[in-house]
Amino acid sequence: MDKLILNLIHRPEMVPEYAEKVTGHGKTEDIGRKALLTESLDIFKVQQEAAHKNGLKTTIQMTYASLFNDEAVALAKEHHETYGDEIALSLLGLPCKEFRDKYKTKDFCIWMFSMEDKKQIVNDVFEKFYERFGFYPESTGSYYMDAELTNYIKEKYPMVKCAVATCWEEGPKAYHTCNNSWYTLFDGGPWAPWIPSKQNTHAPAANEAEDSGIVAIPHLSRDLIACYDGNGSNFGTHPQNVLRGMIYDSKTWEYPYLYNLIDQYRDLAKYNNGYAYNMMFVGPGWMNKMGRWEAPYELLKKSYEDGCAYYGQLKKEDKLMDLTMAEFADYYRGKKRYTEPECALWRDILYGSDKQVFWYCDPYLRACVNMDQGGAIVDLRPYAAKLKWEVGIGTKHVQDASYPFLIQEKYRAGYFTHYAGEGTVRSAKVCYNGEEVDLCLCRTKAHFSEEKDAEGKITRILTLDPVEIEFDGLTVKLQTKEYFEEGGSNIRIERKILEMSDPSAKVEINEYIVACYGTTEYPEDMSGITLEAIGDGKKESIVYEYKCREAAVAGAKEVSAVIPAIETKVSLTAKDTAAEGYIREGYAFSPMFTLGYKKTMADKEVFTTWLNLEKAN
Amino acid sequence: MAQSGKGKLNYRCPSCFMRDLDIDMFYDKEKKEYYCLRCQYSGTEEDVLEKNEMIRFRYRDMMKRFDKFDFD
Repeated sequence: MDKLILNLIHRPEMVPEYAEKVTGHGKTEDIGRKALLTESLDIFKVQQEAAHKNGLKTTIQMTYASLFNDEAVALAKEHHETYGDEIALSLLGLPCKEFRDKYKTKDFCIWMFSMEDKKQIVNDVFEKFYERFGFYPESTGSYYMDAELTNYIKEKYPMVKCAVATCWEEGPKAYHTCNNSWYTLFDGGPWAPWIPSKQNTHAPAANEAEDSGIVAIPHLSRDLIACYDGNGSNFGTHPQNVLRGMIYDSKTWEYPYLYNLIDQYRDLAKYNNGYAYNMMFVGPGWMNKMGRWEAPYELLKKSYEDGCAYYGQLKKEDKLMDLTMAEFADYYRGKKRYTEPECALWRDILYGSDKQVFWYCDPYLRACVNMDQGGAIVDLRPYAAKLKWEVGIGTKHVQDASYPFLIQEKYRAGYFTHYAGEGTVRSAKVCYNGEEVDLCLCRTKAHFSEEKDAEGKITRILTLDPVEIEFDGLTVKLQTKEYFEEGGSNIRIERKILEMSDPSAKVEINEYIVACYGTTEYPEDMSGITLEAIGDGKKESIVYEYKCREAAVAGAKEVSAVIPAIETKVSLTAKDTAAEGYIREGYAFSPMFTLGYKKTMADKEVFTTWLNLEKAN
Repeated sequence: MAQSGKGKLNYRCPSCFMRDLDIDMFYDKEKKEYYCLRCQYSGTEEDVLEKNEMIRFRYRDMMKRFDKFDFD
């Protein structure tokens, strides 16, 4: 097993996010205040010292503002010489007097500018960087880097090979947590490093032709259960985020959760060919001398030093390798194939629930399988569509950079809905004598394995512990296995009846997906979605009009939905001619569609279906 | 009545925190209490700290150190 790879990043942000709002409360805005600039640089020095004294090298992401500060530039050069730190360039931290004088705006998020301004800003900051250092940076980043921005940077500055390109699941939940005032809407991306496609940053490249030319890293390594459910900014490899979540003992100032989070990431090596990764990137605003929310400066500083000390300890034990971003890009390209997925079988380490989920991400899809709901798929992003989704002023999506979902159990319910209608989920129901049990109510656990076929193609397999379903007069023991074939753009699900209390009994299984599309909590227009069930010589179609219609085809080879708004076709297929495929339209109070297969099953029988994703032009 | 300001620390509203909202509170020095602009919570510093402890009820494993992450 390889060592945990760490990217530790610092930025000298002369006007830290939060600092002006917090420390400057009660004063008129002045982003050139000398006290603010001095404090910002001091924080950067403290962070650098915490890393270096623990034997860790960093990537120094110079901000535009810091390029005007001689001391910040000199420090970066000195630390590069002394510690081997990489000098890189961040597209965060744009605000400063020089920027505002030139661009006449308070906007500061690079992905939200017009394309024309993005190009001009990139030119400005890269050329200013060159002027100060005599070379161009190999690494850059922001909270989000849209594909058009990355493509421009690569075209103009081809030496760039690594970028911080998204914050995992920082979308409507983060917006909500900030009282709807924090416009980082980019759900739906990978949680671990990836090679973005030229078409859409979130969707990994499937081959060289799609390769954007950079290795992307996420901003922080996030808790894959807690972040999906709650405020992402409480649960990541960012010590002050852990304080933000109040996940520490207020008397002893201990936070074992931070170390559990790092260790669980280390554990992911066993699902990813021995590779595991962490990223820590704390902006200076989080180590404000005035404290941050309830946490006094002393606690903020202690937590950062403890975080670095833990990584340093792992390095001393030969369990961690610290790389700069540019070094990591080379490492990653040497380690991963384009189609190789990122897998994470993740358990709850905070709430005491023993819940377990499996996250899977490859160039064709991102999915979350929830073992606490019998292996139901509770989040699904159809990367196969490689959706062109321009963001920023002048586009259709000024702020919303999320990759659309087909299933999202928090924004479109899941198994449970109020009063009427259905929520998005891919599950199955087992029926007997008028009773119906959804596997979403069968809590279980999963085990991970890999299988290589004769051609060398690898399939990742989730084998769930069998569940028991109790009907009046019959008990059924059923096992689910889910297969993720590398490069397959599909998920194969097998249900096997292991045992029945009455071996001669028959049950009906209803494999289904309830889906829609969207990026937020609010419904989209479903009009024009085409549902089809196709069998030998028979085809049923429904063009979505909220009329609650349904149709079925015996022995259907495929049931599908084409969603023009996201250029996606989703289908279920089965090879069993005894199965009946069905399609179901929703209605205004339940703006969903359902695709499914029903089949009668006997003891020891297996029923296999495929969930497939394609681009629909 | 003079305007409110920040307190010595920048406490968030515990009631809003429970619903995943980070809302800074302001301090009313005449009433000696923090109050939330968004909801109806107000309380002394002691009350805020007490409620902040209560918030942690959901973190049942907050102080547990894990050494196993699968169920194999």
